[in-house]
Amino acid sequence: MKPVVELKNVTKIIGGKKIIDSISFSVYEGEVFGLLGPNGAGKTTTMRMMTGLMRITSGEILINGRSIARDFENAVRQIGAIVENPEMYKFLTGYENLKQAARLAKGVTKERMDEIIDLVGLTPRIHDKVKNYSLGMRQRLGIALCLLHDPKILILDEPTNGLDPAGIREIRNYLRSLAREKNLAVIVSSHLLSEVELMCDRVAIMQKGRLIDVQKVHGEGDAERQTYRFTVNDADRAANVLKSKGIEAAADGQKLEAALAKQQVPDVIKWLVEENLLIYEVKPLRKTLEDRFLEITAAKEAAVNG
Amino acid sequence: MGNLIVNEFVKIFKRKSTYAMFLFLILIVVGGGFLTKYLNSLDEPVSQDNWKEELAKETEQMKKDLEEMPASMRAAFEDEIAINEYRIAHDLPPSDYNMWSFIGDSGTYITIVGLFVIIVAAGIVANEFSWGTIKSLIIKPYKRWKILLAKYVMVLLFMLIVLALLFISAVAVGAVLFGPGDGGSQIHLSYADGKVVEQSQLLYLAKSYLLNSVGVLLLATMAFMISTIFRSSGTAIGISVFLLLAGDTITSFFAMKFDWAKYILFANTNLMAYLEGKPMVEGMTMGFSITMLTIYFIVFQVLAFLFFTKRDVSN
Repeated sequence: MKPVVELKNVTKIIGGKKIIDSISFSVYEGEVFGLLGPNGAGKTTTMRMMTGLMRITSGEILINGRSIARDFENAVRQIGAIVENPEMYKFLTGYENLKQAARLAKGVTKERMDEIIDLVGLTPRIHDKVKNYSLGMRQRLGIALCLLHDPKILILDEPTNGLDPAGIREIRNYLRSLAREKNLAVIVSSHLLSEVELMCDRVAIMQKGRLIDVQKVHGEGDAERQTYRFTVNDADRAANVLKSKGIEAAADGQKLEAALAKQQVPDVIKWLVEENLLIYEVKPLRKTLEDRFLEITAAKEAAVNG
Repeated sequence: MGNLIVNEFVKIFKRKSTYAMFLFLILIVVGGGFLTKYLNSLDEPVSQDNWKEELAKETEQMKKDLEEMPASMRAAFEDEIAINEYRIAHDLPPSDYNMWSFIGDSGTYITIVGLFVIIVAAGIVANEFSWGTIKSLIIKPYKRWKILLAKYVMVLLFMLIVLALLFISAVAVGAVLFGPGDGGSQIHLSYADGKVVEQSQLLYLAKSYLLNSVGVLLLATMAFMISTIFRSSGTAIGISVFLLLAGDTITSFFAMKFDWAKYILFANTNLMAYLEGKPMVEGMTMGFSITMLTIYFIVFQVLAFLFFTKRDVSN
């Protein structure tokens, strides 16, 4: 795999203040890459520098090997982006908006336009004025606009902002399929951990303009043994049952937690039933990205504060 | 580059407000035509038989009045006296009001053309910021200066289109209401540097429309610059329209007291004055004005392009 986007020691200073402090990471084709961090962490600024909306104070951003600062036209040609809301000309129809973008790109044919309109499902409404579109339709037109010229990289700032759950799911699935099937590199930002967790392969965690860590979303955390939580009528008695079988368990009121391999779970249930304990619920506690995020940021904070 | 201009063209001509401007301009010309027709019907037509005697009498009276006049008003009278004497000497009777006179009078509506061009110039960059579309425009594979240049070219095109519309409306309304006039009306007389000059009426009118638009062009460029710097069309329209309407008055006020008034933009925009021999400040020349206008133009453009290409787009 080759990196299609490379950030090298990128720094942005506005009015003497370091907004982005020397961040570096690479994004590869075929992956969905998330920028995660609280508001003000510098996600949007990073994206603005990647698309040439903002100048880079020092460092370098390469898009498929071409510098966004020095070779803007060739670098930006490979990017499709929606930074913040998808904005279009409301007094034009959806089709006329696409036409505006098509004129400024190379080799966009009428067939390509029809194809992309069909892909985002806007065919029946494409000749309506954009001011009569719903937010979801605008979002879809926005995606059509940035995919029209067949970019290698898709950059989306908070792509699910303002959408209803069905719309969020639709976008999420669509972005994943673009990465899988068209081998695009998709870069999204979000301040919602749960969303990044569902959508991304890797995530860069940002805080106060610094890159704290880059992590794989799935995999590393999924060790073979997992913590399971049992909800029973008497957790203390249940803990003793497990201890008698040589399994370490922690009881808290009605809740019992134990680290188990998957195949041990039926046995544990059997033992508890044999002891006449009532089991209401059994579920694995997966360590969420949120836990890891909080762990990492807390650890860094502690290190910084000494 | 061509496609950038096509895009700008579409954005302007797909908006209803553009057609409202065109309609307004046409209505003004038609309305002005009927009003002029009505006012003229109150005057007695010039008698074609003894026009020489009447004109001579009138001219005598003007000469007497001239002596009692303040110096500032004398120039206009001197012109008219010279032209009247030229008519008598060369047997050129003054024409009745006709199409050509109406086209000439409609030249005052260039102020309205200016208003519309300023509105478009002030909006063409600022609107992209207020619509939020500036981001998608800048992410296109074109350097920023090309995007801005396409917008400025569109402002120029728009100005030519509106000017042409004014001229054509004036020709049409003039021809229908006042007729093409007699042979003498095809010739325009003007007085400059102590000489009366004859020239083709059509050429004179085309020249006067274009020269009168120089001020409009500079103000539109200024509006374009202000809106590019402040990203708001309101400020740009406000300042530019105020100067469009009051610039001349303010400048003449300064011109009475201070010599440096000749460096003010509006002291130089009226290039027609040189063809007719009456500059706003004594001792100014056409070359001086063209130099000043060029300097203003370059300053406006340099500022606009610097701000547009260096700016971080973040809203």
